[in-house]
Amino acid sequence: MNPTAITVATTFAPFLAFAVALLFFMKRPVLAKAIVLLGGLVSVVGSLMLLAGGPREPVRFLWFASGDVALRFGFLYDGLSLSFGAVVAVITFCIQVYSIGYMAHDPAKTRFFAMLGLFGWAMLGFVYSVDLLQAFIFWELVGLASFFLIGFWYEKPSAAAAAKKAFIMTRVGDVGLFIGILIILNSVGIFDIPALLDPETGLRAALSPGMLTIVMLLIFVGIMGKSAQFPLHTWLPDAMEGPTPVSALLHSATMVAAGVYLFARLNPLFMASETTLLTVLYISTFTAILSSTVAMVERDIKKVLAYSSISQLGFMLMALAAGGFFAGVFHLITHALFKALLFLCAGSYIHHLETNDMEEIGRRGGRKMRWTTVGLVIGGGALAGIPPLAGFFSKEEIFAALSHRGILIFQAGAFAAAFLTAYYTFRMIFLILLPARTEEPAHAHGHGNDSPLPMLAPIMLLTLAAAGVGFGGGWLARLLDVEREHHAITSMLPAIGIVLAGVALAWWDFGRRAATRTGFITAVKPLHTLFTNKWYVDAFYANVVARLTDMLAGLLQTVENKGFDDSFDGAARGVVETGSFTAKLQSGWVQSYAAVAIAMMSILGIYLGLR
Amino acid sequence: MGFPVLTFILLCPTLALLVIMATPASRVSFVRWTAAVSSALSLALSVFVWLGYDAAAGGLQFEEIVPWVPSVGITYHMAVDGYGVALLMLNSLVYFAGVLTMWDLSLRVKEYFAFMILLVIGVYGVFMTQDLFFFFFFYEIAVVPMYPLILIWGSTRKEYAAMKLMLFLLAGSALLFPALLAIYHEAGLGTFSLVALAQHEFTREFQIFVYPFAYVGFGVLAGMFPFHGWSPTGHVAAPSAVSMLHAGVLMKLGAFGVLAVCVRLLPDGAVYWAPIFAGFAAAGVVYGAFVALKQTDFKFVIGFSSVSHMGIVLLGINLGVMGIASADAFNGAVFQMFAHGIMTALFFSTVGFIYDRAHSKTIADFGGLGSQMPRAVSIFIVAGLCGAGLPGLASFWPEMLVFLAAMKTVPFIGVCIIAALVVTALYVLRVFEQAFFGPPNPKWNSLRDLEGWEVFPRALLVAVLLFFGFAPRAMLDLIGSSTNLLAAGF
Repeated sequence: MNPTAITVATTFAPFLAFAVALLFFMKRPVLAKAIVLLGGLVSVVGSLMLLAGGPREPVRFLWFASGDVALRFGFLYDGLSLSFGAVVAVITFCIQVYSIGYMAHDPAKTRFFAMLGLFGWAMLGFVYSVDLLQAFIFWELVGLASFFLIGFWYEKPSAAAAAKKAFIMTRVGDVGLFIGILIILNSVGIFDIPALLDPETGLRAALSPGMLTIVMLLIFVGIMGKSAQFPLHTWLPDAMEGPTPVSALLHSATMVAAGVYLFARLNPLFMASETTLLTVLYISTFTAILSSTVAMVERDIKKVLAYSSISQLGFMLMALAAGGFFAGVFHLITHALFKALLFLCAGSYIHHLETNDMEEIGRRGGRKMRWTTVGLVIGGGALAGIPPLAGFFSKEEIFAALSHRGILIFQAGAFAAAFLTAYYTFRMIFLILLPARTEEPAHAHGHGNDSPLPMLAPIMLLTLAAAGVGFGGGWLARLLDVEREHHAITSMLPAIGIVLAGVALAWWDFGRRAATRTGFITAVKPLHTLFTNKWYVDAFYANVVARLTDMLAGLLQTVENKGFDDSFDGAARGVVETGSFTAKLQSGWVQSYAAVAIAMMSILGIYLGLR
Repeated sequence: MGFPVLTFILLCPTLALLVIMATPASRVSFVRWTAAVSSALSLALSVFVWLGYDAAAGGLQFEEIVPWVPSVGITYHMAVDGYGVALLMLNSLVYFAGVLTMWDLSLRVKEYFAFMILLVIGVYGVFMTQDLFFFFFFYEIAVVPMYPLILIWGSTRKEYAAMKLMLFLLAGSALLFPALLAIYHEAGLGTFSLVALAQHEFTREFQIFVYPFAYVGFGVLAGMFPFHGWSPTGHVAAPSAVSMLHAGVLMKLGAFGVLAVCVRLLPDGAVYWAPIFAGFAAAGVVYGAFVALKQTDFKFVIGFSSVSHMGIVLLGINLGVMGIASADAFNGAVFQMFAHGIMTALFFSTVGFIYDRAHSKTIADFGGLGSQMPRAVSIFIVAGLCGAGLPGLASFWPEMLVFLAAMKTVPFIGVCIIAALVVTALYVLRVFEQAFFGPPNPKWNSLRDLEGWEVFPRALLVAVLLFFGFAPRAMLDLIGSSTNLLAAGF
């Protein structure tokens, strides 16, 4: 079959499902569900067929032309888009299946599934884009789908606020990205990604190094918004106001992944700008540490996972910015799989035990949900980087990339973040698996021992993936066409050591029988306060940025009312009053007319007499 | 000359007007149907013009020339170029949707439709005439009915709004009229023909002197900052279909006037003044967005958003004149006129519906309306997202083109107006959050949602927004040749 046709089917099947579900199946959720799942399945099959076909030449079609802008629409088939496209399709489909169980009792199922279709379309369209503007369009649509899904339960004010926040914060990043893209268009006149990457004729040849740095920094602003990097990260933890399957989708293969993917897509251009790379390294390292520390003190399982996503995205960007293209992409893929798994497990607990609080999940007998718990442990192990689970291999690559780069502060930062990751992940696992023994006995809640099959099947599949996909590194490297060096086991030892240290500390704090279950950080009061207040970033936005915007708007509103309106009203009133004054001359009193006439005549007489 | 289709487009509403005037006021249903049929016919003929227009050949087509007053050179010269076709289509769509939106009106139905149709006739005339005299004639016909329409069928300080609107627009005309006469005299050709005048080379001094009068005269109607004050108040006070025509089409007359008269006849003046007027336009874009953020009334939000979005049109025109990215800028400006027209029509049509049901348009009165009126709210959300410049909806493309031209011509302005996108998103989402999301207010539980045929006019406009969002080519191919002709001069 023609690869173009397959790609069109892969990307547009979810869109068709979305449109059909929304237009025709509003009252028939079963059909809506069926058609969206069918669309998801088509995407999975299509993307796997494309992957099996291997890399090939991109295809392009003219979309429209205006003046000197010609927008092409097309698909790119290299190792990056093929591998990640398949991951997106598979995870999206897993989550759609999972949602059958999770959303079984929601009255607005059609809307939910339709939006999942929209989301799949936007993300797949983004991944295969050959044109930067096309990619930007899908990038925005990914944001739109996230807005609708985060705010799915829109009657909850917190969900509505979270959706708005996500949209606005990513919009702030998009402004940077948009400006960057327009500068690119204005300087080279094309949007075609392979052509832009060309070292001889592409962007590097067309722009001065200074201009290239500005453009790449602007694009990175967009990536910061989408991939939730400091200081534009605060929307992501709030985004868990959406249903849990949405969080699973948002945090793994879609939305946040788009930013990192864009970086990988434009990797050669970023590599050409040293200043940008250093900026990215500083920001991503700081983000990785900041978010890990917050995850240490959160009690809500979804918030812990949300902050862990931010920190792992930081890892990916560190790797990419340090020149570890393979490491970054590998971690993007492994993270997508195990993070989707972790969120699905969290959702399973929440669905079954009706609480988000980790202690509470433990107390209500979370560990008795066997498959979910297996998934949580494997996924958690992968996140922490326990060998031989997926996250271990990709993190190992990241450490190697950073050591090549050889700037100590980033290496140290990465180790610190990895240590904290192991610590908070196992804090989560211990809190759920080893609840405090003194509390009430686990009580049966819900029905049965675990979630229904539609929820468990995706969990099982992703558990396998999280356990095994780490061994696929060699295959991925061949697909991406990069040299992958072999790491001696001795060079892996520090990484393993740091992870084990984190696990050990977590066991000391939360796992062992005599554990205080408060965490060592409570001993350092100021830090604990800082971490529980999320480093005051949210507070800064609410109290400073939001207020300044409001003041500016208020000021302009005053200008409008007191300045423009009142002055125009005043002008109008002035005309009226001039009129009424002049009208007095026409009073109709003969006496006053006579008085004026006499006065005028006397003045005339005096004037003539004096002459 | 063939089939005089443009005259027929003009005749449809004119005949409808005459029929309605002759109908007893009690025969409400007949009046409505007359208006509906005439608008449907105009729409059909506009589609015919759209399809029949040879975009590849470009230039003026469907020409009809009848001498009117030969002694002073007034000619009944009707013809459209790509811009004219696009705007004819816009007017027909808004007219058609507007008639259907006001179907349930019960107060003085006959007079209402008569004035509304008069307004539409004026707008059609402006978009198709190639004679300066008729241009001004139709222009005034379009403007004047606003006064009774707001005064009689309006709400919220309607006397004030109607008076304010009238004063502003007449002040604009007062600037415009002498400028147009000066152009006629200075050329000394003894003709009002725009085609002939466009070929005349006016002296640079004359152009620089006259241009600001003409620009500001038209600009007032286009909601030009800082002379925009009439527009939000007028939007708010007018009944919904009038707001639709007013924001959707009438404001476009101003921008069209700038393009078809000022820029075309006085290119040197345009170049001279462009930096200043571009600055005003950009200020309007940012200013409108910020002020919209503070509004508590639905219609005021949309009113100020119109100031902001029309700023993009005017900015596009001025950037086009500057000559660095002319084609993109002109394309953006004209496309934005069309997209904004459809979008605001959709906004007002939906807000009008909510207002008719709830008798409130204060945002804070609502909350959770999404559960009570899902269809109306969904449609409003589509319009809102279009306003926020989401790709997939028509407004994305013109905004992008104007941003592009701005980044190329005056990067500082480009950065400012792109950054204003955040503010735009803020005011749009603020309305969503406060009025549509959150727990439903039980007070509105009994409100009826859009039903059956009521969905139709709104769905039509949504479809148009989506169509041009996905197929911008349909618009750019149409207006491209006119743009190339215009841009070649700069």
